[in-house]
Amino acid sequence: MKRSIQFALFSLAWALIQNASLAQDFIDVDDLMEIDELLDDDITSNAEIADPLEGLNRSIFGFNNYVYNNVFSPFTKAYVKAVPQPARKGVDNFFDNLEYPVRLASNVLQFKFQRATDETARFLVNSTAGVAGFMDVAKTDFNLEVPEEDIGQAFGAWGIDHGFYVIIPFIGPSSLRDFVGRFGANVIDPISEPSSHIDDSQDRFALQAVDTVNDLPEIIDLYESITESAIDPYTAVRDGYAQFRARQVSE
Amino acid sequence: MNNSRIRATIALLVAGFAFGFSSLGAASHDEPKQALESTIEELIDVLHANEETLSFEAKRDQIVAILNKDFSFDIIIQRALGRNWNKLDDAQKEQVTLLITDLVLKAYIKELKDGPRPKVRYSKPKTLSSSKIEIPSKVELNGTEVNLSYRLANLKDRGWQVYDVLVEGVSMVSNYRKQFDEHFQKKTAVDLIELLKEKLTDSKS
Repeated sequence: MKRSIQFALFSLAWALIQNASLAQDFIDVDDLMEIDELLDDDITSNAEIADPLEGLNRSIFGFNNYVYNNVFSPFTKAYVKAVPQPARKGVDNFFDNLEYPVRLASNVLQFKFQRATDETARFLVNSTAGVAGFMDVAKTDFNLEVPEEDIGQAFGAWGIDHGFYVIIPFIGPSSLRDFVGRFGANVIDPISEPSSHIDDSQDRFALQAVDTVNDLPEIIDLYESITESAIDPYTAVRDGYAQFRARQVSE
Repeated sequence: MNNSRIRATIALLVAGFAFGFSSLGAASHDEPKQALESTIEELIDVLHANEETLSFEAKRDQIVAILNKDFSFDIIIQRALGRNWNKLDDAQKEQVTLLITDLVLKAYIKELKDGPRPKVRYSKPKTLSSSKIEIPSKVELNGTEVNLSYRLANLKDRGWQVYDVLVEGVSMVSNYRKQFDEHFQKKTAVDLIELLKEKLTDSKS
C-alpha cells in the first residue's frame, strides 16, 4: 500500500519536474539577448563568400539583370505559352538524366557510395521505363530521389573554399571553385566536348540551348521575386548563393 | 473491497495521470505543425483567389491578419535588422516594418497570382533545440518544386511562432540581415526609408 502511494508521489514529482524544465524552454520575447540566441542556428545562415571583384561583379550583375528582364523574361513568357508544362518537365527530366555521369563522379569523389548506387539505379530505371529519361519514373513510381551533387560540392566537401565570388555574363553567380567544377563537369558531360557523343557541333549547340532555355522559366520567376523584394538585389543574390552552396555541401 | 486496494487504485490513477501529463509536454510537435498547415492553407486561399477587384492594400491586410497567428513579424524584422535596429527611432522602426512587409508581399503576391493552386507537402518537424523546431515542406508551383522550411520558437506568452523562413535552405532573415548590414555601413535610416518607398512605387508600375 505504502509503496503504491510512494510510487504515485514519485511520479507526480517527476511530472512536475518535467514540466518545470519544459516551462524554462520558452524564449522570452522581451529579452533581446534571447532573441539574438535564435540567430546562430546553423553554419549555413552565416555562410560567407569573399568578393574582391565586387566592382566588376556589380557591373556584370547589372548587365545580366538587363538581359534577364529585357530578353530572357519576354522570351520565357512566350516559351511557357508555346510549350505546355508537362512537356517542359519532360525535357527537363531528359537533360537531367543525361547529366548522370557528372552526378555519379561527384558522389564518388565524395565517397558517397550509397548515393552513387541510387543515382545509377535512377539512371537505369529512367532510361528504360522512363522512356529515355523523359519521365522521372524513379521518383514517381519508386520514390527514389537523390540529392543533387556536382563537382563544386565535391571540392567543397574536400574543404576547398569558394576562393571568391564571380558573376558570369548571361549565367549568373558562381565562385572560382564552382566555376572550375563546371569545367570538370563539362569534361564528363555526354553532350559537351570533349566526351561528347554528338559529332555535329551545331546539333551539340542546339541541344545545349534547349536545355538552357527549358530551365529558364523556373529560374526567371524566382529571380524576379528575389530581386523585387530585395533592398540590394546584388547582396541578396550573393548571400543566397553562399547559403545555398553551403547547405548543399553540408548535405 | 479493503482500504489498501482503494488506495492502490487511486495511487495508480494519480501516477497514470502524472505520467500522461508529463508526456503531453514532450509531444511530437504535431500541434504547431497543424496550426501552421491550416494557416498556410488559408494564405493560399487568399493568394489564389485572384480577385482583381481587391486592391493590394486590402489583400495585404487579409494576409497579414492570417499570418499574424503563427508568424511573429516584430521578431522577424528585428532579427533581420540585427544590431542596426537600434539605429532607428520608434517612428522609423514602425515605418520600416510596414514598408518591408509591403515590399516582400508585393513580390510574392505577383508570383503566386497565376497558374494552378500550389500543392504543399509537409514533413515531420525537426527538433533544433528544446524551444526551437523546423517544419520542412515542399511546394509544387507551376511544375517546379520548392523546398520551404519554417523555423518556429516556443515564445513565452505567444506559443510556437515562426521566426524565420528558409527557401531552398536559404534563411530569409540572414539574407536580409546581410543587405541591411551593407546598407548601414555607408547609409542611414532616412536613406533606407527613401529607398524602400522608391522600390514600392517602381514595382507598382
